[in-house]
Amino acid sequence: MVVSRLIAKLQRYEGWFGVAAGLLIMVGLYMGLVTSSPDYYQGEVVRIMYIHVPAAQSAMFAYTVLFGGSLWYLWKRDPVVDNVSHAAAGIGIFFTLIALITGSIWAKPTWNTWWTWDPRLISFAIMLLILVGYLMLRTFLEDKEKEATYAAILAIVGFIDLPIIHFSVEWWRTLHQPLSISTRGVAIARDMLIPLLLMSIGFYLLFAYMLMVRTQMLYLQHLLEAKRGRMLSKVHL
Amino acid sequence: MKWFYIRWGGVLIIAAIIGVLGIQRYYRDVTAISPDRLLHDQPTQTVRVLGRVEAGSIVKEGEGGPVAFQLSGQGATVSVRYLGEASENLRDLKTLVMVGKWNPTTHIFEAEKTSLMPNYGFVTAAYLISLLPMGIFLFNMERKVALLYILIKEEKVYQPEEPLENR
Amino acid sequence: MHFFNVIRWIAWKDLLSELRSRENISSMFFFALIVILIFSFSFSLDPKTSKELMPGIIWIAFGFTGIIGLGKSFLAEVHNDCMEYFQIVPAPKGAIYLGKFVGNALFMLIVEIILFPMFILFFNLDVLEKIPMILLIFVAATIGLSALGTLFSALTVQIRAREVMFPILLLPLAVPIFIGAVEATRGVFSGDPLPLYLDWIKLLIVFDAIFMVVSFWVFEFILDY
Repeated sequence: MVVSRLIAKLQRYEGWFGVAAGLLIMVGLYMGLVTSSPDYYQGEVVRIMYIHVPAAQSAMFAYTVLFGGSLWYLWKRDPVVDNVSHAAAGIGIFFTLIALITGSIWAKPTWNTWWTWDPRLISFAIMLLILVGYLMLRTFLEDKEKEATYAAILAIVGFIDLPIIHFSVEWWRTLHQPLSISTRGVAIARDMLIPLLLMSIGFYLLFAYMLMVRTQMLYLQHLLEAKRGRMLSKVHL
Repeated sequence: MKWFYIRWGGVLIIAAIIGVLGIQRYYRDVTAISPDRLLHDQPTQTVRVLGRVEAGSIVKEGEGGPVAFQLSGQGATVSVRYLGEASENLRDLKTLVMVGKWNPTTHIFEAEKTSLMPNYGFVTAAYLISLLPMGIFLFNMERKVALLYILIKEEKVYQPEEPLENR
Repeated sequence: MHFFNVIRWIAWKDLLSELRSRENISSMFFFALIVILIFSFSFSLDPKTSKELMPGIIWIAFGFTGIIGLGKSFLAEVHNDCMEYFQIVPAPKGAIYLGKFVGNALFMLIVEIILFPMFILFFNLDVLEKIPMILLIFVAATIGLSALGTLFSALTVQIRAREVMFPILLLPLAVPIFIGAVEATRGVFSGDPLPLYLDWIKLLIVFDAIFMVVSFWVFEFILDY
């Protein structure tokens, strides 16, 4: 149980992750909202980037953690790793939603539309659907071991499918309507890059902190259930 | 549980202070006034004036020198003398923000900088929509963890009513 | 037992029980028929628009038909307590998956082949000389759908909200199949030269290959619990 020991060790420094994430995000917000210059073409609206991009990165990172945790669970059957994957899915939904909503708000003033059939947008929406399906599947299964195994399988299959979905949608888009809207990232100036970097690191740390808290929450829930005698499966104690 | 609420109270106070500072800064540095307010108030400090460049009013005084034009908005027009470096944003019928000082003797607004029309509504919405739920989400999770610790401590270990061998 | 024997016997068992009861294929068939009728009412198709919409309608009908059939694929095994016997089959568990998969793909293909002449009749499609190409697309897309569908059917068969969860899990992941199949079918119907839509068929085949391998590997874990 290498991973659960590592998690226990990391859990001891949980508070530091939270504090570091908070500080980095605060500095990043100050630099992004105050000291960085507005974009030449987009004006002030470009400042949405400092929250949109880190949220999207964290969402993808959450799914990667979910994938890694699922593989590890199928291999070693470590229940703590299953709690980590479960927590990563919940937080992943949250960050995906933030990325989609802020992206939509950013799209309105720049592209004059709330939603466009852009490959990245569709991939994110489908990722959201897969994650919601993942959590729904977990709520419908009673046996904890079965729940963990089935959910891990779904997460693995979905993770392998996501690049294919992205690729096929991109292809489909370029065939049908030529991309009237360039979705390439704006050329990033130096004083934009530093706050963006700070916010990204801050969001990764925040994700790590949230993951620890949520893992703890799920673990304690299982512990309480076990103490009440509702769940006598020895694995999830 | 007490320390949990104290900690989150601290976080809330910090967030409130940052929010108030942000709003203050917005009114001091970012918010722009219209030309009629400029003519009415005649402020002495540096202000930001939002208006539209009148068509055909741009006069350049030599290469790289000051540019004079008329800026209008809310039914009033002011003459602007722009001393800063040449900007491509300075075009006919462009809505933009001029940063500078009002000269009460010559009745000319002496601008040093241009900036684009601020569009803060979308930015504020995006940040509020993402940061507020993030705080609530985190608060709920941590509260649940704290509650679960207490519950687990108080819960007695489950005992079957009868030992198995007596059944 | 030999690996391929397991595949063959499981597929044969499914086909045989289907031949005797005919409930799966007939329900799939009538469902697809109703879908076609509803679509033709709701779009009031004239020949020009029908050519535009046809590939989408065909694949929506086939996709939902597949969901009806695939979702029930493991139901009989659960009702007859056969899942435990699957666990003790002395062969790789993937063989059971492949056997089920072959049975499901055959059901879907049979329904599609019965339905396709009806599409031609109802909507006056002029595609008789392109039938080999269309068959290839049908086979490629059906393999992909049933590869994923068999896996998810096994995943969801033992849970309470089976009928809801199966499409919720399957449809988002099946997006590339639908895009590829619809685009390739559209290419065939509008008489494009082969290179224009060959890439979509390649996409379908790559998808089939990837998910056959992945499902084959993870199926073992489903049966273990």
